[in-house]
Amino acid sequence: MDCEQLDLLYEEYALGILEGEDRAELEAHLARGCAKCTPGVAKARYVVSQLALAAPEAEPPAALRGKILDAARSSASSARSGTTPVRSTVTSIEKPQVKRPMFPAWAWAAAAALALMTGYSIRQMELQTTQLAELHREMNLATQQSKALQDQLDQGRMVASIMMSPDSMSLKLMPKDKNMPMVHAYLNPQMGVAITAAEMPAMPPARTLQLWFVPKAGKPVSAGIFRPDAQGQVTLVAPVNMPMDEIAALAVTEEPAGGSPQPTSAIAWMAQKN
Amino acid sequence: MLLAVLQPWPEGNQPTDAALMERLLQRDASALETLYDRYGRPVYSLVLRISQQPASAEEIVQDVFLQLWRSAERFQISRGPLEPWLFTMARNRALDFLRLKREKQRRREDSTDSDLPFSAVIRPDPEGDIDMSRRSEKVRALMSSLPGPQRRAIELAFFEGLSHSEISAAMGEALGTVKSWIRGGLLRLRESLEEARS
Repeated sequence: MDCEQLDLLYEEYALGILEGEDRAELEAHLARGCAKCTPGVAKARYVVSQLALAAPEAEPPAALRGKILDAARSSASSARSGTTPVRSTVTSIEKPQVKRPMFPAWAWAAAAALALMTGYSIRQMELQTTQLAELHREMNLATQQSKALQDQLDQGRMVASIMMSPDSMSLKLMPKDKNMPMVHAYLNPQMGVAITAAEMPAMPPARTLQLWFVPKAGKPVSAGIFRPDAQGQVTLVAPVNMPMDEIAALAVTEEPAGGSPQPTSAIAWMAQKN
Repeated sequence: MLLAVLQPWPEGNQPTDAALMERLLQRDASALETLYDRYGRPVYSLVLRISQQPASAEEIVQDVFLQLWRSAERFQISRGPLEPWLFTMARNRALDFLRLKREKQRRREDSTDSDLPFSAVIRPDPEGDIDMSRRSEKVRALMSSLPGPQRRAIELAFFEGLSHSEISAAMGEALGTVKSWIRGGLLRLRESLEEARS
């Protein structure tokens, strides 16, 4: 494949979805520093990065700015007050001994012991560096898991608040398939809509469930997407993004991962509001 | 004079990204503050679109900007463009989170993506580049102009991190069709951004 043909694949490569022979061909060009493909892929990375600008605009929490700056300042100050870097210790161990014309036997033995100790120390430091990197990776993983749990907890609290509010309206979404469980929904004009269900079957990763507000007139409006967790539990909290009195029904459909602008499959669960 | 008019951040003599990164290298936190004000919103929007969870999005954005703080020296050396690097790192970290959440985290083929060198991205003709809001309009207009299934396929690849075959399964379309949609859409995006600069 020549560079002209590969030119059509640069963006797919930058997106990370190019596979098989096409990917291997392009990587071979990049590996030998191809004068056309190397800058071509670098430009494609820019083009693909611009898809970020297609994300719906969202305002970050006001506190986030302060958190980032505090963390940065804190890391800067701890770096200033840090101890002697490990690298300098290695350097001091590795400093050559002053040469003398003759060595007594004990000096050779000491030098050998020192060399052994130096080698051992370096190996230990390499081991510790690897262990530290592994610990760091595990810590990041644990932080992400903890964050996901916190999200679930927050969502659970929100569901409970909506369920217990006297202003909430309770609805039961009946399944079209009688083997499927019922989905409970709680509509609150201020707090949003919460839905819960249990014993839901697992879904393939490429599919999702999507909740819709069905208006008295017009097209359904998406309220959010959700999937059963590993235990078959379902929870979703979403804002009520249309006037309550215009909602005629709530419906759930199965959609491709990420949801759809309009339903693309038959209604799987439904409840009339009134 | 013409160059001054075409600078990416002409309003109010805003410092360039490169100048801010120089200051970051001197551990000037106010430079990070300015960079956050410039890019915090689009980075957060991207991460939230991918992760769908505000608390996690906040965590990931914080991680991205602190990585920037720690990586200032690498920027100093290569002087690549900052914005695409930030977007790429934010996308990769958010997709990692998404994969973890789906309990099907798989080793990315290109495991160094999160640490993409600045020099690995070229913003063509940086001095003639257009501002972010205009580019944002261009990208949104292009995506809206694509037929629904084509747009959906690109969104699943970019925001959900799905492969060609996963997208094919999700959409119930032939693999070849999905590849053709994505390739065609991305090439149109390339052309659209090139036209926007001209």
